[in-house]
Amino acid sequence: MDEILEQALLFDFYGELLSERQKEVYQYYVFENLSLGEIAAEVGMSRQGVHDLVKRGRLMLEEYEHKLHLVEKFMSIKEKVQQIDGLLDAYEGGRQTEEGWRAADTWACREGVPPVDTRGVRPEQSTQELLERIRKMADMIIEEL
Amino acid sequence: MAVKIRLTRMGKKKAPFYRIIVADSRSPRDGRFIEEIGTYDPNHDPSEFKVNEEAAKKWLANGAQPTEVVSKIFKAAGIEK
Repeated sequence: MDEILEQALLFDFYGELLSERQKEVYQYYVFENLSLGEIAAEVGMSRQGVHDLVKRGRLMLEEYEHKLHLVEKFMSIKEKVQQIDGLLDAYEGGRQTEEGWRAADTWACREGVPPVDTRGVRPEQSTQELLERIRKMADMIIEEL
Repeated sequence: MAVKIRLTRMGKKKAPFYRIIVADSRSPRDGRFIEEIGTYDPNHDPSEFKVNEEAAKKWLANGAQPTEVVSKIFKAAGIEK
């Protein structure tokens, strides 16, 4: 996972468990891209003090994730819901035009989800396939929760 | 005046989104910035970014310091000093 995304999600899930000072410093460092020196000047601490707070904050967030896996679950479920969304888009688009399918394929490709190839498939067949796939993904999501 | 090119977080909880901004490094807390020159969206794989190349080059030529992360984004966008 993208390092920036990971740091942001860790903070969004577990940030409230940090102390106020730690939260403040961590946000400056991770979200505002400020250097340790700049933060030190802002909050009136030593550079080393800021460094320790950031490092300890990061360790704490990682420790929470290690125990609770909330970010991991969130990412996994989000991906599956996106796939369902893509399937529905494809279905909706495809009912109208061939272009709809192509748009859905492009979407799937961009989002990194496997495209559904339903070209040349009769409408009732693709509906069946769609329902099966959505049901399978819904089951996977429930299992994960 | 020390000018930096850095990220600043926007967006909702659990859906981070960043602006690439040019800002004075001495007053980071008030949230003011000189110019927005792009965006960075890590919610996609690979991450999506948009950079105003002309503005980025102008600021780099004027001695603005990009942060490490911004340097990486510029590199990916094909912007060199």
